[in-house]
Amino acid sequence: MPAKPIDLGPLHFAKRGDAVAYLNDMLHRYDVGDRVGADDTVILRTALEHHPDAEAKKGCGITHFSVRTADFGTKCFWLNRTDGTTEKFSHRACIYGT
Amino acid sequence: MSLAGLQSWLLQEGIRDDLDAIVRLTVRTELDNLVAEPAAPSTVAIDWPRLLLAGSILARSDQRIDQEGALRIATAAISLTNDQALKDAGAVLLGKLSNFRAIALANDRHLLTAGLDGRLGVALRLESQRREMDRSILVESSGAWLQMNDFQQRFWNSAGGGGWLSASAPTASGKTFLVLQWLIDQLTAGDTRVAVYLAPTRALVSEIETTLQGLLGKTKGIEVSSLPLRDKYEAARAGGAQVVLVFTQERMHLLANVLAGTFSIDLLIVDEAHKIGDSQRGVVLQDAIERVSRANSKLKVVFISPATQNPEALLADAPDGVQTVAIDSDAPTVLQNLIVANQTPRKPKLWKLTVRQQQGSALPVGTLELASTPAGLRKRLAFIAAAAGQRGGTLVYTNGAGESEDVADLISQLLPQPESIDPELAQLADLARKGVHPNFRLAPLVERGVAFHFGNMPSLIRLEIERLFRLGKIRFLVCTSTLIEGVNLSCRTIVLRGPRKGIGHPMEPHDFWNLAGRAGRWGNEFQGNIICIDPEDTEAWPTGVPSRARYPIKRESDAVLELGDGMADYLSRRGVSDLSSLKDSDKFEQVGAYLLTTFMRLGSISAASLSKRHDAASLAKLDQALAALAAQIEIDVDLLARHPGVSAIGLQRLLEAFRSYAGDVENLLPAEVASEDSYDRFVTILGRINKHLFPAFEPEKAIRLYALIVVQWLKGLSLAEMIRRNIEWHRTTGRTYSLPVLIRNTMELVEQVARFKAPKYLSAYMDVLHLHLRQINREDLIDHGVDIGTQLEFGISSRTLLSLMELGLSRMSAVALYEKIARDDLSKEDCVAWVTEREGQLEAMDFPVIIVREVRERLLAARRL
Repeated sequence: MPAKPIDLGPLHFAKRGDAVAYLNDMLHRYDVGDRVGADDTVILRTALEHHPDAEAKKGCGITHFSVRTADFGTKCFWLNRTDGTTEKFSHRACIYGT
Repeated sequence: MSLAGLQSWLLQEGIRDDLDAIVRLTVRTELDNLVAEPAAPSTVAIDWPRLLLAGSILARSDQRIDQEGALRIATAAISLTNDQALKDAGAVLLGKLSNFRAIALANDRHLLTAGLDGRLGVALRLESQRREMDRSILVESSGAWLQMNDFQQRFWNSAGGGGWLSASAPTASGKTFLVLQWLIDQLTAGDTRVAVYLAPTRALVSEIETTLQGLLGKTKGIEVSSLPLRDKYEAARAGGAQVVLVFTQERMHLLANVLAGTFSIDLLIVDEAHKIGDSQRGVVLQDAIERVSRANSKLKVVFISPATQNPEALLADAPDGVQTVAIDSDAPTVLQNLIVANQTPRKPKLWKLTVRQQQGSALPVGTLELASTPAGLRKRLAFIAAAAGQRGGTLVYTNGAGESEDVADLISQLLPQPESIDPELAQLADLARKGVHPNFRLAPLVERGVAFHFGNMPSLIRLEIERLFRLGKIRFLVCTSTLIEGVNLSCRTIVLRGPRKGIGHPMEPHDFWNLAGRAGRWGNEFQGNIICIDPEDTEAWPTGVPSRARYPIKRESDAVLELGDGMADYLSRRGVSDLSSLKDSDKFEQVGAYLLTTFMRLGSISAASLSKRHDAASLAKLDQALAALAAQIEIDVDLLARHPGVSAIGLQRLLEAFRSYAGDVENLLPAEVASEDSYDRFVTILGRINKHLFPAFEPEKAIRLYALIVVQWLKGLSLAEMIRRNIEWHRTTGRTYSLPVLIRNTMELVEQVARFKAPKYLSAYMDVLHLHLRQINREDLIDHGVDIGTQLEFGISSRTLLSLMELGLSRMSAVALYEKIARDDLSKEDCVAWVTEREGQLEAMDFPVIIVREVRERLLAARRL
């Protein structure tokens, strides 16, 4: 199966696995409870557009992203909406669309 | 024969047989469920006039053993005889012992016929009146004369001047009452504006605060507070109402931090001052004393300690030229019967009781019959307590909170079902159900007049238990070592078997006697009983039942330094980067932090007051290790002084970690507790503290739990809600749990993590972070609201909750009320107005009655004054 390239904002990845690895590295640069920085936010916003439930996830609009606890002691990205609600999302799902 | 020789002969031979007879008789009157003895001694055979004359000779001694003999004779004459002349003589003898409270008790109980003075005859009356006048003190604040015993009078007369004073007397000598009276006198008649009363535990702080407010009544112009907030302090300094601040040592540091360089007090009282030797917090107390005496060289300091050998040791650090006085008393105020209980061979329900006397003799007093066969040690303790102490006022000592619940439950099963439940007990049960959990074990027990008591309980519940025990409505109180930590609670009878302090350590004799000394309520009872079960069992009593001993005062810092090179070795290892490899930190971290800060302040440990007590060679070695650490530290001494017990090298490492942090600096700050990020942010911060500052939040895998507790506490959740959520989590994750254990664990997490470790280390973290933010010109990120240490100590994050607690409500009441208040920004006046508007509806709001009572007392009564 040929590799599928993907663009996340200004970044181009020759194959999706590279994009996932990039986002994994980004995730692990943060501690739980951290707010995601401005440059990484740009990348995450575009990544979220690829999510199968992108519209539902965005809801009324996103103010910022955080890194917080996920299940079983792991961590993942969370989005924070303008109405104060918050929800986690899988960055793998953004890249693979499933 | 000298007087001392005569006194000694009297006790050993002269009146020995009669004295033994009255010991047996008086002790038998104290105990319930004794098997009837046809051959029991009678009072008829006793030569009372001779005995009373001997008592009068013994009363002239300053030896405890002689005074006890005189007190025993006086008590027996009053309580065992029916002859008015003998009773009168007993009362005169009590007067010679300056035991006016016991005379008052005899009058209250109608053991003495009214009009004693008229029956004494001129000579005796003159002598008795002179004694009363000699033993009276004019209280300047009220103009009233207070009758005192020798110790109280010496304290009062010596405490008047400036300088440092250290007073020690046995439990039940009326120390606290006396000191509080004296304190009020100082405030009313002296020029003290700000006084601080230090007590070692929050339990004692609450108790002292309540007692002081009761004594002050409607006295205007004196405020009492236990909150480390600036307003009352500043008002007092500005010439407004004087203030007494009742604090633990940690709270005093919090206020000193809030006020920065301006904190200065006029009078410091240190209660339970022997706790300067406590292995974790003693050095924090020492630091607190040094901090306030540095701020005001004219500071007056009063130390109080129970039955210590060397009260003068506390005066060693007084500034040069300051007058020091030590007052020591070992005089008994109430009889204490040390009774041992051994099972009758092959008869597990029959227990032989023997009184042990100071001369080493053992005197059989009878056989106790139990209601049921005591299979197992807990039952043995419970059943003996239930039988011997049936009439109430009985304290049972257990080695831990779990055991205290089980023993209380066993005792309650032996008591008859009450026909009706006393309303106050019902209210306490209601508070336990609503404030902790509907199935909290305390609730059904208190309905039957039994309770348990341990340190991590919410103060509102614990204080109510103590109050109802004093009133006699709770007849049996099963306690843990919290009581040794200084709660002023006396009892008629205390029952113990193999007491331990902490986990597994047999109790030292002085700790045993600090506890046992509670037997005998001076002014309420003539005698107290200490019942020790299985005295020959070496598992229970590895060194036997301890003989009476007095506490040796030794500062924790001195005790650690005397361990040899351990401290210097620890300090030389303390600079390592991997803190998880630190050994012996339990023993050395606190004192090491103190020494390092002291070194940085003075440039050498040899210049510190403690150098008087240690040899030059070991100090030089310490100086060397400290100098190597100090060379790496750029944090200034003022910041270090704000965090006693936290190591300067740890603070420095934390600063370096902030500087090398690659992410956005805002991520170093805690998030608003209302925000979703808050919990995770605390998880990271606690981990950062463990890594760089000190591994305080261990084990690592429990950090998430600690962070959760910290967030819930800061959000102002009630204990009941925290317990509910903990149960919910166990259910949803399919984990099994035991409800009593879960309740105790949640209480422990709140007290030990949220209210002790978290404020200590998080406030240090915030201080260093603020320093870093100022250095990188990001002061815009510094929040100048209530500091995190205070927020955590009280479990508050909103202005309204803080106002409610400033008004004097316990956190339990404040949180319950806050659940009904919409606004989070109310001032104290707004809170009073809110309650006033709803005064008629408080009972209808489904609050426990005790909470309504507290709200009325603190918010509505204050308004009417």
